[in-house]
Amino acid sequence: MKDVKALLEEMKSAPYKLVEVAAPHTGVVEHVLTEPGTKVTGPQGSWGERPGTLLAHLERERNKKAIRAPMRGEVEKVFTEHAGRFVEAGTVLYTLRHYLTKDEVIQEILKKTLYLFHAREQAKYYFFPEADTKIKAYGPQSVRVRDGQDLFIVSRMKRESVLPYSGPEGMIYAVYFKDNHSVEAGQPLIGVCPPDQLPLIQDVVNRVKSEWEERG
Amino acid sequence: MRIVQACVKLGLDFVCVHTAADAHSGHVRLAREQGGPGSLYRISSYQDANELLAVADDAGATALHPGYGFFAEDFRFARRVTERTRALTWIGPSWRVIRDLGDKINTKRLARGLGVPTVPGSDRPLYDEPEAEEIAANLFSFQREQDVARPVVLLKASAGGGGMGIEEIHDIDSFRMTYRRIRNYAKRQFGDEGVLVEQRIFDFNHLEVQILCDRHGGEPLHFGTRNCSVQSTGRQKRIEVAPGFVPAELRYSFDAAAVLEAVKDHSLAIAREAGYDSVGTWEWIVTPRGEPFLMEVNTRIQVENGVSAVISRIGGKGGVDLIAEQIRCALGERPGYTQKDITFEGVGIEYRLIAEDPDNKFTPWAGRIDSFSWESAPWLSVHTQVPTDEPYQIPTDFDPNLALAIIWGKDLAEAKARGLEFLDKLVLGGTDSTGVELKSNVEFLRHKTENLLVF
Amino acid sequence: MDIEKRIQSLAARLKYIQDIFAEREDANIELLHSKLKDFTDNGGAMSAQEAARQVEALEDLYAFLEKKLERELTPMDKVRIVRHPQRICLKDILENVYDNYTEIGGEGEYNIDPSVLIARAYITRRVGGKVYNQPIMVIGQEKGHGEEFRNGGSVKPWGNAKAQHYMQVAETENIPIHTYVFTPGAYPLEDYPGAAQQIARNLYEMAGLKVPVIAVFSEGGSGGAEAIGLADVRLMLSHGYYSVISPEGAAAIEGRLRGGQRASAELIETCARRLKITADDNRTMGYVDRVIQEPPLGARPEHYDFFKVLRSEVIRATDEVVLNVRGWKFFRAMTLSAQRNKRNASAEDIYVRWTLSAGARDRLVWRRYQRFRRMSRHAYIDNSPLTKKVERLAREAGWSVYSFFKYDFFRKHKKKFTHMLEEIGSEFQVVRDKAAVPLRWARRALAPGRAAVCSEEAGKSLTELSCWDKGSCDTPGVYVSPQAREDRVLTCTNAETHGCKDLWAPDLFGDFAGVCPTCGHHFRMEYQWYLHNVFDYGSIFEFSRSVESGNPLDYDGLSAKLEKAKAETGLKSACVTFEARIKHVNVICATLVGTFRGGSVGAAEGEKFVRAAERARKKHYPFIAYVHGTAGIRIQEGVNGVIQMPRCTMAVRRYIEAGGLYIVVYDTNSYAGPVASFLGCSPYQFAIRSANIGFAGPGVIKETTGLDIPPNYHVAHQALSRGHIHGIWDRRDVRANLNQALQTMGGRNLYYR
Repeated sequence: MKDVKALLEEMKSAPYKLVEVAAPHTGVVEHVLTEPGTKVTGPQGSWGERPGTLLAHLERERNKKAIRAPMRGEVEKVFTEHAGRFVEAGTVLYTLRHYLTKDEVIQEILKKTLYLFHAREQAKYYFFPEADTKIKAYGPQSVRVRDGQDLFIVSRMKRESVLPYSGPEGMIYAVYFKDNHSVEAGQPLIGVCPPDQLPLIQDVVNRVKSEWEERG
Repeated sequence: MRIVQACVKLGLDFVCVHTAADAHSGHVRLAREQGGPGSLYRISSYQDANELLAVADDAGATALHPGYGFFAEDFRFARRVTERTRALTWIGPSWRVIRDLGDKINTKRLARGLGVPTVPGSDRPLYDEPEAEEIAANLFSFQREQDVARPVVLLKASAGGGGMGIEEIHDIDSFRMTYRRIRNYAKRQFGDEGVLVEQRIFDFNHLEVQILCDRHGGEPLHFGTRNCSVQSTGRQKRIEVAPGFVPAELRYSFDAAAVLEAVKDHSLAIAREAGYDSVGTWEWIVTPRGEPFLMEVNTRIQVENGVSAVISRIGGKGGVDLIAEQIRCALGERPGYTQKDITFEGVGIEYRLIAEDPDNKFTPWAGRIDSFSWESAPWLSVHTQVPTDEPYQIPTDFDPNLALAIIWGKDLAEAKARGLEFLDKLVLGGTDSTGVELKSNVEFLRHKTENLLVF
Repeated sequence: MDIEKRIQSLAARLKYIQDIFAEREDANIELLHSKLKDFTDNGGAMSAQEAARQVEALEDLYAFLEKKLERELTPMDKVRIVRHPQRICLKDILENVYDNYTEIGGEGEYNIDPSVLIARAYITRRVGGKVYNQPIMVIGQEKGHGEEFRNGGSVKPWGNAKAQHYMQVAETENIPIHTYVFTPGAYPLEDYPGAAQQIARNLYEMAGLKVPVIAVFSEGGSGGAEAIGLADVRLMLSHGYYSVISPEGAAAIEGRLRGGQRASAELIETCARRLKITADDNRTMGYVDRVIQEPPLGARPEHYDFFKVLRSEVIRATDEVVLNVRGWKFFRAMTLSAQRNKRNASAEDIYVRWTLSAGARDRLVWRRYQRFRRMSRHAYIDNSPLTKKVERLAREAGWSVYSFFKYDFFRKHKKKFTHMLEEIGSEFQVVRDKAAVPLRWARRALAPGRAAVCSEEAGKSLTELSCWDKGSCDTPGVYVSPQAREDRVLTCTNAETHGCKDLWAPDLFGDFAGVCPTCGHHFRMEYQWYLHNVFDYGSIFEFSRSVESGNPLDYDGLSAKLEKAKAETGLKSACVTFEARIKHVNVICATLVGTFRGGSVGAAEGEKFVRAAERARKKHYPFIAYVHGTAGIRIQEGVNGVIQMPRCTMAVRRYIEAGGLYIVVYDTNSYAGPVASFLGCSPYQFAIRSANIGFAGPGVIKETTGLDIPPNYHVAHQALSRGHIHGIWDRRDVRANLNQALQTMGGRNLYYR
């Protein structure tokens, strides 16, 4: 088990991450926010029904789409050279400095303390139906896994195969992949917490909750 | 890639799109070499029409080639390209033609109206159970009359496709149950109760006729036939051979030369009737008794066009490029030659090299290719997006096609021998992330070469 | 002690006056204030006698000035009166108007909905030395002098369901119903049974209730009021209000305010005046029958005299209703009508039995229908000349006669005849089959070669072009949406979650009928699309074209807005009624067009709807209400709009009970009044996918309940799972689904059955 305190200190020294906001597709960019340092918010409300701060417009085929801030933070850099220009898909338009929230810090530390089960190959991953319904209904912590249990469905090249879980027995503490999104080889799929480490994990959570100050 | 080559050959400017995942593909490299960085655009998805058109506008393009797949047979896309405010020239048949011939039922009716043979059965969706049952019963007696040992009738959901909602019946007693099941499935799935009833044909050969028409209503031209009968279990083509049969070298139980003539004539008749105005492929099946039936029309240039080109001579000269011809005609030029000027010489074989496991239901293999090379020869051309000088990671989003190899020989025997020679000298190796060796269909291709065109 | 009490009561009166007149500066109020202050400041020094005298003077002054102030009351002041916690409430009425009562369904807050109060009450009359106990079902909203749990008389859906239940009980027991309307509006929750749908059910119930219903309005807030307000006699307290919307709500709409902004006091005041919400206004427009005069500045629980007046009024109203439909009535009816003009005459002097015979019950419902049918006739514009009107009436009568003979009289006999023919036919078939056995055998033996010939023909049928019977494959008319003519692309709302590609407008609106091919999201289509794609080509025949939306309240700015809407849409009202055919079945369709003032319903729309329902009834046609969109009742028409809720519901009920088929199809957004009445009461309600259906929009819900609601609160699938609608249709299937519905649903009296 890693030294949680040290990890926390390390994160405190750089309490933010940089997020790139890129053009989702080609089109002509029109910046709305041009001042670096402006505070922006991500989607808000109980259902995320209030959208994030409007950053720019991207117009393609006479269809103007809003590009909004994906999360809270402040604008680090605006790539104004693209203003009024046609950009390719994936062109970076903004970088945002996002101060980590407690939950994100917890996730980050957990990633370093939990047992991680990695993707073997690049593919789309899904949970087995039983586990899937449980996770969707009650959250990942409701599922216990043990070595050799058939847990994943790997979908690649339109073909599906079963991937059993291997590693220590325990409950799934975190899920790192999304349905319908391709996962690269070597990326973690789930974080598993063995039962004997549960108090330790709880300790991490509590410590972060009390010590971490959210900013921005 | 071959489109870029054709543009270069015709002296046309071009731009090319690619996705982030494909940034290292062959066509991107070729485009960069030939057209410079300004001829490349990174887009979010090949399947998003808006991306293509936005790029076309920004680049100031005047014409658009839809490639082989996705959009080439999408009449809505063709219509949009030609009818939007800033209209572009569509390199392909006009959208009405795509729409009319893209509908299989419509094609079948068009064919029957011209006396072109089609698979026996209904040529329109049936909604009335007694009527459908009568047709099925007729089909059974029809097949028995033709001495089919085990007659089979197919029931299809007319709105379906891709193998969904198809069932076969072996006797008329099971008709009602199956019919109702299909009808209910069709209604649920496609919102349309129509059912097609057709004869199921076994052990057929798959023939294609390559057609070229200009935009001015000129006489349709053909570039011979192809035989695409070597397929994977999923009905994916693996080897194409031109011409469709070689009566000179092999014995057939029917008059093969007459069949080839018949399918060409019928195809031209339909092209004429439909007002066809681009490159297209007429797909036929030929039964072991030598009866040809029109299956469908592919209103686009196909990957295997090269194998027809390699045996074609225009005014006695080789080096035919059908993509270039397609672009020329689409831009309004006339071919400048007639059917008389088109002659054929020798036999062409096209191999599709694919990273897959033929022993295991053609399961695709994805991984890194470390070595890939072949010995070049004047009778060989290889089209590949895989680099030969550096490792290449196969993208997982598409089928793992590696290369197309087109081989020419003065007759079938020579073509087969050269084909085997190519396969023998091919170097192909790699591993995937779990350490499994590359799997490819080379052995499968070698095995199938033995009996090419035997029917 | 006594003086102190009196002073306290005066202070309370002053406080009340100040509440009513809000912050308004008024010399009279100033005077009252200073006089009272003078007295309390100096009161201690005075002798008892002197104090008593002064208090009396003060009391007189108060009474005098209250009368004076009474004349200055603005409509908004009256709104404040009815909302004041000291306003009389239903409990007070039960205590003071009725002789005995038992509350049913709860005790204080232990109640399924404490804002609805139901009581079995008695009125005891002593006439000619005899004592008569007359039972009544009392239903009303209870504001409870500001008790928190009463929710201010804002009734939840289940509260209205309770009311509906006890209306049925009263009907079974054959006793009259007295309803008391004390509600600012219904509580806009969608949970089952649903605010809108339950009000619709209540209206539907009341439209055919076979017992006398007397309604007394104090605070009549829109839909909530209608839920118990459809009555044979509608009385109104003089200081009450009856309105389509609260003045604040109207002001918010008028000022185009969003998200919790407050309208200015003046604007609210203006709106209150413009909406014509007072008792006298409603009396003039004919929506209430009589006004019951309250004491100056409104009735409060201590006004015992007022309760006496109220008692006599409700008794008289009940008597009237009963006598009007009863055979034996002559003198009593005369006395009653004479009494109405006399003061102090008590209705209790004569006795009328309140139970009704079977015939009288039917007459009661018929009279109620007639009554509402006649309402709001002044509120729309009908430009057709008199001859046309007469012609219309004559034609309608003609249809009735024709339908009767064709579908009722003739059909009965025809059916018998065809049944008999069928029987004979099948008997004959059996005989013929038996006789033909040897014949067939012989034929087969003689001609073995014929089978081969047959199969050759069959073979031809399998390989040659068949004849596609064009008649079976119908081709609806071609309609190109103007949206399909633009070269632009649109983004599907579900693009984020379903990965839908942007769609080119000509594809989307031309080929896909406005449906996203990836996720099935329905974009908005014009109502004309339906006219062309649902009904048989060229079969549409519009009627009632002459009925036009007007501005009955002379509401500021409405006329201009109507002109604009009429010019933009080419329509004369938001309702288009027409006859058409669906696969050769004649139907009558009423369409609410969402682009004409938001599809809001006013007097003209209601009238057209009622006429359409009557036409469908007379012709024995199915009746389809296609709701392209409706934002509710047109608030600028005030009660003229609200009254369409009961009017149309009654017409619909009459149609359904005559054995028709009433189908409602919702598209885009359908909210409020119409859903809470003539639409929501249909047994066959379907929604086009991506439609929103509800009582109040998210903003209003937030405003009135303080609840945050999820963004998908009103979507069709939620409405389906709540049981508000009965199916969701894809736009492209509407024609087929309607055809299916026409063939399989509905009552006994459709012409094609």
